[in-house]
Amino acid sequence: MKTYIARRLLALVPVALVVATVAFTLIHLAPGDPASVIAGPDATAEEVARIQRQLGLDAPFHVQLLRWYGRLVQGDLGQSIFLRRPVLEAIVDRVEPTLLLTLYAMLIAVLVGVPSGVVSARHHNTATDQALMSVALIGISIPNFLLGLLLILAFSVWLGWFPVAGYSPLEYGWLLTLRSLTLPAAALGLVQSALIARIARSAMLDVLREQFIVAGRAKGLAEHTVVYKHALKNAMIATVTVIGISFAILISGSVVVEQVFNIPGLGRLIISAVLRRDYPVIQGVVLCIAGVYMLVNLAIDLSYLLFDPRVRYQ
Amino acid sequence: MSVVALPHAVTTRRAAPSWLRLLARRRSTLIGLGLVGVALVVGLLAPLLAGDPLRIDVARRLTAPGQAHWFGTDDVGRDVWSRVVYGARLSLLVGAAVVALSFVIGLACGLTAGYYRRLDNPVMRVMDGLMAFPAIILAIALMASLGPSVLNVVVAIGIVYAPRVARIVRGSVLVIRETAYVEAARALGASDVVVVARHVLPNCLSPVIVQASFVFAAAVLTEAALSFLGVGVPPYVPSWGNILAEGRLYLQQAPWLVLYPGGAIMLTIFGLNLLGDGLRDLLDPRLRGVAAERTS
Repeated sequence: MKTYIARRLLALVPVALVVATVAFTLIHLAPGDPASVIAGPDATAEEVARIQRQLGLDAPFHVQLLRWYGRLVQGDLGQSIFLRRPVLEAIVDRVEPTLLLTLYAMLIAVLVGVPSGVVSARHHNTATDQALMSVALIGISIPNFLLGLLLILAFSVWLGWFPVAGYSPLEYGWLLTLRSLTLPAAALGLVQSALIARIARSAMLDVLREQFIVAGRAKGLAEHTVVYKHALKNAMIATVTVIGISFAILISGSVVVEQVFNIPGLGRLIISAVLRRDYPVIQGVVLCIAGVYMLVNLAIDLSYLLFDPRVRYQ
Repeated sequence: MSVVALPHAVTTRRAAPSWLRLLARRRSTLIGLGLVGVALVVGLLAPLLAGDPLRIDVARRLTAPGQAHWFGTDDVGRDVWSRVVYGARLSLLVGAAVVALSFVIGLACGLTAGYYRRLDNPVMRVMDGLMAFPAIILAIALMASLGPSVLNVVVAIGIVYAPRVARIVRGSVLVIRETAYVEAARALGASDVVVVARHVLPNCLSPVIVQASFVFAAAVLTEAALSFLGVGVPPYVPSWGNILAEGRLYLQQAPWLVLYPGGAIMLTIFGLNLLGDGLRDLLDPRLRGVAAERTS
């Protein structure tokens, strides 16, 4: 078990290195001299030189790269060119709505997805199964931002139940926050629940064909004990993986959905940074999200220790 | 996606018709084929079906759908039907180009990594690193550097999906490499290039073909998302994402700006997913139900 954990942790190192390098390269992918691209077409030579110094672009490439690693190790993401403040500060300021939105969406996705998948598998090849899976297939065909727009149209414009857009921070009361995040979280979570339902269903179906299920039924266990205790626990292995992947998809999805609902989170931060060519902010947000993604994947791997005893004996 | 597929027999050319018949046997696959076919025809025949998607007519801005404009007009009076039709063309172009690009890169990396043990680690670690970025985030970041254009959208999305293809290819190659026929070819003195091109490549294609329609769907979605966010194709280009971005500003006055392009996206993706499911069941029955849109 210890070797398993150690191996997982070690495997993170090369991935983190590649991630850091890719984020670094972003600034050099742009055609032409990065400093003048950032400064814009109307910039004077002094401005270009100032940006060059500020970003350390005057040093040779490998020196820049080594400095970049050094700064990252210290947790320094640099200064935003446009906001004129540390990138990390700007990110911390915007994390609250994105994080809450992701968690809320996650809750919706799991609460809708897992039960639908299990019910669908339990009633395999019945009308219930077919209906649920058709809805799920339509669900995975709707982009989250489109569902967001449709939800606004239905529940805000026509019915007037929810605010059209905007975010109410936690300091004004959590109920208001919850209300402002319900439609965006539904847009994100419902789409994801369709994926979770499909995977949960097929995992359940696979498990229900196993010998120990037959054995359980043969020794006279109640059907719900067989399904909800023995089968469900085993089907959770595949399902947890998907839930973990979903979390990563939801974080990046919230970047898009924030734009639909005018929520001032990380998504708005990175999009406005892209439009202003504020590379340090782009790099910072990309790194943070990739970092969270990596940690979530690690957590998935480690969660197998809980769900799959076979892993423990590796 | 980490599923390792067993090698499949090479399909001969004569088998193609029965292959198609098999594909069409399931109703849902047929519906998928139909939807994708409609999108294809609409995209190809765009100039015949629609007028100029760029013609501005400010006097008729935001007119509701009717006789003159089936899908209404947008905020500068452009015909939404024409823009949706040309949007289909763009989506299909981007989808096909992304599939081609990500498959070329993915096959090259996957074959190298799978066939040459020594290159396996370095190549796959880079792929893992690229896959550590959520797709849309990497695409946004790449677009920030490359700048808005159709070609750059293709490049960015292609880079995002190539590692996913590479991973599947590598998995199959690892199995194929150990088979007797590869050993026999080597024993007969065939060069690595011949072994890979003649014996390994054809046999690792079927799990990849299954992915093609999912990568296609993901590419169409990602293009729409990028354009919707304002970092994809330039705003004047008729793209479903661009129309939705405008529609967001006029939800109350002009819901048709959201409903029609939204419907087009949904039906296209729905069709691609049905087709992908059908292909998967046909080519790789063991993957049934799993491994689908892990690409997203």
